[in-house]
Amino acid sequence: MALIGRDTGDVPVSPPDVATRRTRVLRRVTDFGRSNESGIWKSAGWVAAALPLAALTFTVVILVVKAWPSIQVNGGHFLTGSAWKPGNTYGATVHTHGVAHPLGSSYGALALVVGTLQTSAIAVVLALPLSLGAAFALTERLPPWMARPLAFAVEILAGIPSVVIGLWGVLTLGPFLAQHVYPAIADHMPDVPILRYFRNPVGHGEGLATSGIVLALMIVPIITATTRDLFVQVPSLPKEGATALGMTDSEVARRVTIPWVLSGIIGATVLGLGRALGETIAVAMISGAALNTIAPNIYGTMGTIAAAIVTQLDSAYTDGTGFAVSALAEAALVLAVITIATNVIARIIISRTSRNGAPVGRAL
Amino acid sequence: MVRTFRGKWILPVILAAGVIAAACSNGSSSSTTTSTSTGATPSASSGTVETPPTATVSETGSTLLYPLWNIWTPAYNQKFSQVTINTAGTGSGTGISDAANGTVDIGSSDAYLSSSQTQATPTLLNIPLAISVQVLSYNLPGVTAHLKLSGKILSEIYQGKITTWNDPAIKSANPGVTLPSIPIVALHRSDGSGDTFIFTQYLSKQDASGWGNTVSFGTTVQWPSTPGALAEQGNGGMVSGCKATPGCIAYVGISFLSQLLGDGLNYGQLQNGTGNYELPTPAAVQAEANYFIPKTPANGTISLINGPVSAGYPIINYEYAIVNSHQSSTSTAKAIRSLLQWAISPTYGNSSQYLSQVSFQPLPAKVIAQSTKQIASIK
Amino acid sequence: MPNRHSDPSRTRGRRFREQLFRGLTLIALVLVVGPAAWILIGVVARAIPHWQWSVLVTPTSGVGGGLSQDIVGTLVLMLGVLVVAGSLGVLAGIYLSEMAKPRRNGRPGAVLFRSATEVLSGVPSITLGFVAYVSLVVGLHWGFSLLPAVLVLSVMVIPYIAKSTETALAQVPTSYRDGAEALGMSPAYSLRKIVIRSAIPGVVTGLLLALAIAGGETAPLLLTAGNTSSYPTGQLLHQPIGYLTYPVWTFYNYPSNQAHFLAYDAALILVVLVMALLIVTRMIVARTQRHSEGGRG
Repeated sequence: MALIGRDTGDVPVSPPDVATRRTRVLRRVTDFGRSNESGIWKSAGWVAAALPLAALTFTVVILVVKAWPSIQVNGGHFLTGSAWKPGNTYGATVHTHGVAHPLGSSYGALALVVGTLQTSAIAVVLALPLSLGAAFALTERLPPWMARPLAFAVEILAGIPSVVIGLWGVLTLGPFLAQHVYPAIADHMPDVPILRYFRNPVGHGEGLATSGIVLALMIVPIITATTRDLFVQVPSLPKEGATALGMTDSEVARRVTIPWVLSGIIGATVLGLGRALGETIAVAMISGAALNTIAPNIYGTMGTIAAAIVTQLDSAYTDGTGFAVSALAEAALVLAVITIATNVIARIIISRTSRNGAPVGRAL
Repeated sequence: MVRTFRGKWILPVILAAGVIAAACSNGSSSSTTTSTSTGATPSASSGTVETPPTATVSETGSTLLYPLWNIWTPAYNQKFSQVTINTAGTGSGTGISDAANGTVDIGSSDAYLSSSQTQATPTLLNIPLAISVQVLSYNLPGVTAHLKLSGKILSEIYQGKITTWNDPAIKSANPGVTLPSIPIVALHRSDGSGDTFIFTQYLSKQDASGWGNTVSFGTTVQWPSTPGALAEQGNGGMVSGCKATPGCIAYVGISFLSQLLGDGLNYGQLQNGTGNYELPTPAAVQAEANYFIPKTPANGTISLINGPVSAGYPIINYEYAIVNSHQSSTSTAKAIRSLLQWAISPTYGNSSQYLSQVSFQPLPAKVIAQSTKQIASIK
Repeated sequence: MPNRHSDPSRTRGRRFREQLFRGLTLIALVLVVGPAAWILIGVVARAIPHWQWSVLVTPTSGVGGGLSQDIVGTLVLMLGVLVVAGSLGVLAGIYLSEMAKPRRNGRPGAVLFRSATEVLSGVPSITLGFVAYVSLVVGLHWGFSLLPAVLVLSVMVIPYIAKSTETALAQVPTSYRDGAEALGMSPAYSLRKIVIRSAIPGVVTGLLLALAIAGGETAPLLLTAGNTSSYPTGQLLHQPIGYLTYPVWTFYNYPSNQAHFLAYDAALILVVLVMALLIVTRMIVARTQRHSEGGRG
């Protein structure tokens, strides 16, 4: 009786008999916690949500600071020249624009940038139709009892570490392609402008084509999983209506399903492209890890920025002036800019074409 | 009445403080036994191996020296099991870099330090541990002879000017050997490599106006673009890559000789500083070394390549341990000294039972004394 | 009178295109699933003939021995990522989903944080590894050790965990939240007791997949964890740690059969580990679908 109608401002936060069992300090802490609980969640959550921004800022700042000497000395030549010259590290040290660097050192990353873009382009061109086809097969063609384990197989492909895929690429896929597939293609290519790129020599399996194929395999699961989720979300009414009007399955797919989820497919493709651009280890194992070479034909050895960083960074400090580390930092910065720009452009495209906003897919 | 929680900055401040505290702490890896004073200074006489405390010593670097480290480590541990040694073969460039950075205790390198490196890290030492050799191997099934290869020929191969094995230049150097007409695939190292260093030094000295002027030498160089050239990681990669590529030519450390021969690869006779072609026999290596030993300075920095020795094999080098003489932990310093003293001692590491397994030659007495002095300065 | 739609050649053409489409989608599926199976079979076929159970309990010595310190190292790294990235990522996801003030035009709030998270998820792992190496391992003299490795892996997977937590929370029916509010629960209390609890399966799934990603990484670990043949001691700095992707990268072309076997064995263990995580994830998803309101089960 005494409690009802009591001024709520006087209600103790914890009941008196409980308070006598706990020590005063503990009660203070738990009372503080309980009365400020949502505040604590909010601040902890704010800090956690701010961390990606902090990490991103930190990354960009470190890259720019480390790359600054290289930017000053190499200038625009970094993006237009393909000669990656460490110079004579055992020779004299010279100074350009106030930056110390070995005599003759001058870094041009064009071959690396071209290699990165080439492998990623091949990967997307191969992966997109395969993923769309596989997603269609999984959602519309096959009975569920068959689709589920096959979908799981695709998921496994996503989870296989890239070093294991690289291992398979070097030991199995590369030799197989070089002995059976590439000669079959190369021997029948006429010597005309574009197809010339596919002619001999075929090499031994390490190179641009194999890297592109392996990258495609690595990004297919991303695109397939997201596309599958999207296809499932397409309402059945428009599809059934189209079928009722006499459209075949392929026409329904082409005119109804895909346009419905187009922005989601673009988003998923860009996610895959981002992964391909940044893929390091598998490409380092299969591409031949060249620093100065643009592949002369599609089977030729080349290098990517990521592969160059992972093979060169450990020994970059042999350049006592720090110039080699700076050049690698600039390369990493270029790679980061490319991937971030791809990400941003895709989000603009998605927000322009989408009805529902960006897809929330499983981006493993 | 709920008090507003203004503490949302507490968490980041605590995190930042923790990071700064961690960075400031010089965390020695194991500080169990402080070095008991066994005397005023560690013994400078050759052959004395200090007893190490319990410690962990990390080594990385030269893939040429790596097989020997893997032979030395269990042998050293039989005598001193309280030291845990971690070894890795990552290339001399990484050995030098990591030793300079402090991320490894001992960096192994086939290449001595450059002046810019010693300027950047003045306390860095390069301590000779043994004498090693480099061979030029090739994959030519059917050719059982040791081909005669000169620096000029090799320079043109690696510049892409000689592209097939039956090129007139190679044929004239090897009369009587039938050479196939397959293309040459020149392998080079993709990582910072001491093998690249000594090979490019050889090319620079033998072809001073060509290679020496344009590409020069170093642990990393700008390799001229040659058709089909492949870049490989480590000596291991060079051997595996050459085995898989008929027509390849590769510069490989002699510690991989048994793997080379087991994989069906062969190696060549190289033209030395007087114009003779020599095989890398112990006698030829010793002859070349004998010329340079009196000239070896106290800090061990000297090239043993292409000496004017008529019976000498031209590509030999000291294997260096790159160590910072200024260590952050006295127990690690003592363990490093003990390990290196053991390695250069003719009774232990430098005895033929270990070196013969990798075809290295032992250090001469003069260099042992010099290395001992350098080791003693590691504190 | 023939028109476009009763013209038999057009019908034949459409029928052909339809068959072609069916065939192509199935070929696509085969081209996707086939290599997956090929890789798994390849790994197993290379590792099994020379498999020895001692590999699981013996540490590496030189280029031989076993993989035990790498297995323990990978598990320790995963644990570290679970603790650091798991807690921070889930908190971030909760914040972005529940607590960020919505913008005036009705779109979800915290745009800056959300965009930063999206962009960070696109930054390549080698770039993050580079930054960690240059600033932490060398710059702050931490050396190759556990802390920079856990930090860089965590930064990599936090965006992914935050996104999957946000998704899981978004799938909690609004009726739960409305009901909690109607019963007079404070927002924090309802968040803790009702919303998060229902989202746990989705959150756990995200965490497991993040662990699979972290365990399979090589490049950032090469630059932060170094390598060693000793077991991890729990020391955060100046003590390198082994991990399973290292022997695959280092030994695959080392000219020694022992080294090759270690590389294949490590690849096999990695694949088994990842598959275990994926299977557990699948089981959780299947269980929640069976029990949830809108599940298909």
